This record gives sequence, C-alpha cells and structure tokens, in this order.
Amino acid sequence: MSMPLRLVGRHLRAHWLRTALTITSLVVTLFLFCFLVSIVTTLEDMVKQSATNRLFVQSAVSLFQDIPLDYQSKIDQVPGTDKVTKFQWFGSYYKERDNFLAQFGVDHEIFLDMYRREMEILGPDGKPSEEARQAAQAALAADRRACIIGEGLVRDEKFQWKVGDTVPIQSTFFAKTDGTAWDFNVVAVYHPLKANFDDRQIFFRYDYLEEMIKAGLCVGAQGVGVYVVNVEDGHDNGQVIADIDGLFANGPQRTMTMTEAAFQALFVSMMGNVPLFLGVIGGAVVFAVVFSVVNTMLMSARQRTHEVGILKALGYTDGAVGWLLLVESLVLSLLGGGLGVALAVGLAEPMRVGMGKFFPQYTVHPETAVWGLVISLGVGVVAGLGPALAASRLRPVQALRSEG
Amino acid sequence: MSMIAMQGVTKRYERGGETLTVLERLDLTVPKGDFVALMGPSGSGKSTILNLVGGLDVPDEGRISVAGQEITAMSRADLPAWRSRHVGFVFQAFNLVPVLTALENVLLPLNLQPLSRAERRKQAEFALQVVGLSDRMHHRPRQLSGGQEQRVAIARAIVTDPDLVLADEPTGDLDRESANAVMDLLRRLNNEMKKTLVVVTHDPVAAEHARRVLHLDKGVLAREVQNPASSRAAAEAGGAR
Repeated sequence: MSMPLRLVGRHLRAHWLRTALTITSLVVTLFLFCFLVSIVTTLEDMVKQSATNRLFVQSAVSLFQDIPLDYQSKIDQVPGTDKVTKFQWFGSYYKERDNFLAQFGVDHEIFLDMYRREMEILGPDGKPSEEARQAAQAALAADRRACIIGEGLVRDEKFQWKVGDTVPIQSTFFAKTDGTAWDFNVVAVYHPLKANFDDRQIFFRYDYLEEMIKAGLCVGAQGVGVYVVNVEDGHDNGQVIADIDGLFANGPQRTMTMTEAAFQALFVSMMGNVPLFLGVIGGAVVFAVVFSVVNTMLMSARQRTHEVGILKALGYTDGAVGWLLLVESLVLSLLGGGLGVALAVGLAEPMRVGMGKFFPQYTVHPETAVWGLVISLGVGVVAGLGPALAASRLRPVQALRSEG
Repeated sequence: MSMIAMQGVTKRYERGGETLTVLERLDLTVPKGDFVALMGPSGSGKSTILNLVGGLDVPDEGRISVAGQEITAMSRADLPAWRSRHVGFVFQAFNLVPVLTALENVLLPLNLQPLSRAERRKQAEFALQVVGLSDRMHHRPRQLSGGQEQRVAIARAIVTDPDLVLADEPTGDLDRESANAVMDLLRRLNNEMKKTLVVVTHDPVAAEHARRVLHLDKGVLAREVQNPASSRAAAEAGGAR
C-alpha cells in the first residue's frame, strides 16, 4: 500500500469510533435505500410479469361492488373470449386475524386449465406432473369443500398444511351464520411458475359458496367481484375489452375491463403513490446521511489542517493533499455503502420469507445494488469534495500555523 | 556561489485591519555550505525569512533565488516539486505525523521521488541511522522523547539529500542536553554532508553552533557575528583578564 493510502487507513483507525459510527450510518442508510427501492421494483415486477392474454372484469363503480352472476355467460359469448371464471375474494383468515389469507372462489372446472402458465400441481412425491393436475381436478370435482393451496402455506410454520388436512377458515366477507369456521379440505398443492404469482393463495369451489349463500348459511350477496377472462390467441385485447364493456354500457351494472397488468397496477395504486412515497423516504434518508458524512469529513479535515501544512512543506502538491481527503471520504462511503448494499442483497431471501404475504416476490435487483454503490460513491464525493478543495487551497504557512 | 540570495525583499501581513511590515527591503546572501543562525526578538522576521526561502510563503516585493533558481518567479504549482528536491524543513514542534512510525515519517518526502520501494526504504533507514535512531524506526512519535522526535524530523529533512536545510527553533521545545545533541547533529550535517543550514533560534548557546549569526530587528539586518563560539570565548577570556 502506498504511503498516502496508508496515511488514510491510519487516520481512519486512529479515530475508530468516529469511523465506525459513520460507516454504521452508511450501512443502515444504504440497506434502507436498497430495501425501499426493492419494494418498488417488486411491485413493478408484479405488473410486468402479468399474463398478456388475460383480462379482469370488475364493476365500473368499484372493485368492491359485485357484478351479477348472469354476466358470465354474456362475457363468454364475446368474440375472442376463450374461458371465463369467477374470481371471488373470500376475505379469510386462519384462527387469528393476523393469519390473513388470499383465498378465492373460482369455477373449478376450468380454473386449473386457465392458470396452466401460472402454476403447476405437485404430486405426492412433491414433483409437478400432469397426472397430479388431473388428480387435483378430479378431487375438486368430487368434493365441494375441496381447495388447492400454495406451497407457501405448506412451508409456513403457522400453517404447515398438507394434502388431506381439513382446515378451519373464518371469512369476514362471508361469515357463517352459526358463527363457526368454514371447513375446507386440502386436495392439492400448487407451485407457482411466475414470480408474481403468490405461493400462499387458496382456491376453492365458487359453487360451494353459492350454495351456502342460497341456503342462508352464510352472510353475503350473490354476485362476483371479478371475472377473469382468457383471450384466445390472435385476438386483440383492446377489442375484447371494448366489446365486454360495451355489452354492459347500459347496465344494470357497468363494467370496467382491463388487462392483468393494468389490474395489478390498479392494486398497487390502491396503496397510494407507493413509488413516490418510498422514493421520498429513501431520498430523505440518503440526504441525511450526506450531512453525517460531510460532518465527519469536516471534522477530519479540521483536525488535519496542520498535517496538510506538513505535507505541503515536504513537497506534496495542492492536488495530492486534497486527493488524500477525498480518498478518505470515498473509503468511508464505499465501505459503509458497500456493506449496506451487501446486507440488503444477503438478507433479500430471509426478508422475502418474512414479508411473504405482502411481498412474496421481494428481491433486490442487481440494478438496485449498482445504484446503491453509485449513491455511496456520490455521497463520498459530495462529502469529501469541500474539505479536499479547502485543504488544497490552503497555503502551507497558513496550515502550519493551525493547532497541531 | 550563493545558496540563498534575497534582494529587496519586503513582506507585509494584514492583522486586524492593520498592515504589519515584517521584512523591509531585506538583502541577504547565504553562501553554499554556510551555517547561519538567525536571531532577534519575536516579530523581527526570522521565521518569515525561512518561510520565504523555503517557498512556503511569497514576498510582497523583491526577489529570492535558492541554489541558482529564482523561486519568486515560480508558480504556486511549481513550488512543491522544487521544495521536495531542494529544501528540508525542521520545525520547533517537530511536526511529525502522529499516526505514522518514525520510518514512515521519514519515507513521506521520498514518496515524491522517482525511486523504487526498496531504494526509498534503504534511504530512509540510512537517514535514521545518521541521526542515531535505527533502533526506534518502528516507534510512533508519541513513543519517542522530544529530542528523538526532533532527530526523526532532521532525518526526514535530509532524506532526499536537499541542498538546503531550514530549521525554525529546532531546540525550542527541548531540554539543554537534547538541544545540544540536535545542534551537534545539525553541525555534523554542515561539516560532513556539506549541507547549507539556516537556523532560527532564540537560544544563544544553540546559535554558537553556527558559523555566523545574523541579528534581525524590525525586519532589517542589525548585526552579524562571525564564528560566534570563538567570539564568545574571546570575549570571556578578555573579561577574565
């Protein structure tokens, strides 16, 4: 190591507490930055990975306004429509409200076929196969209380469900009138094929829900929140959307049809302007740490004024002396920032598991890590430039007069 | 041949809105191989002369040449390289970098020279040997006595084999014994290594090690004493009779 770099290292070690605190603040900041950006990119990924041949039909008034059941057969008649299934949010939880579940009532005869590209069914050996899919289809047909669960619910210690289990589930949307839980029989486990397809969902027979409503055994009205439509290959989504919405333009309930990507984006927007919100927080955190590192560098530069004079007296140029302070700032920021980024990347998988039900596809993109390092570099330059310029401009005789 | 030639040098400082003239049209010549002690009351301009001759500061008027080069004509960007080749500094407060060892402090000026790593180390170790500190080269400044620190500073000043060594109160922070050792060392540099030395001091005993003493007063040369040690001995002998 060259002497000037050794000098930088020795100074950082000599003031180890200040160095450690500055590095820690950078670690926390860059970790937070990567985390917040990754939340945004995860949401964006959900939209980007949406199926291109799938449409969602909901009420034009609101997602929470049901649309009539007789719409399904009319939608099915629209040219370009391949298959249509109900997709009814069940609003459920297991034992405690914290154990929230993403559960949907679907048309079991066609659902598995419609979602071939999104999920595969696991056999008893834990491996996916067409036989397992057919067995699951048969099991769904045979048992009106049957359900298919995602493998995330098998792995989760709070659930640990498996095929053959009867699981008691409470619904806030369709509570049973006797106050007891709904019992569903787990007949199959699916493995998601797309990152944006949650591995913790439950799909059950909509006709079971319909029977219960008709029999007055649970609260809730007949109707459905969303119809999911698969569009035939070669048909224009825009035309199919226009045809479906045109069909119900005069009521009784107007519809709003959109692509899966638009539907996912709508969900994201329901959380507010998340990217802006997270961006503001991330920006503020980075802005704050710039001041912290600037403060460290100003203190360091002030303490080193006399040393600047010594080096200049020995023949070190203005640029070389300024460079030393800039390098010190860069070492601090890249060390702290790099550790923060490494931590964010290293903890991505445990965090994905931890945040499972909210961000099941959470991941830190390489671009995010690179941006984190670029920001670290930027913080180092911003923090070090002022002290470096001040040191380089100092006349040797002025610097030597300062307190050593 | 003169090592230092100052012609009509004036230096002023602004202090609290007032202009203070520290040097007034000073002419000074120091021949090559000379050992000059600058004495005078505080504020007489002794240290200012060192700063100007060493290129650490620039005069308001006049010309300064060192080893045949007019440094007052050099740009601020050229001065550091010139300093690293031609001048060695020794300061009252030693001015060692506290986080570096004695050897590393001595290596600092060598980093600016076009030498291999091994050559640098060899030269630094030799400089420490010259000042008698080979056994302390891996010690940090705080692990050394004041006299040892100043000897490290002298090693650092001579390690690049400069033409000129400028020492500003080199014994100011030392006890008598250490001060004598440092001045003996400087005299050896002058006698054996033929370095030109200019030493600023308040200490008449330290000044006796020089070949001549220049007394400054209010920015002008007031008096010159050749061979101060023999002059004092003669004066004492005269007094005894």
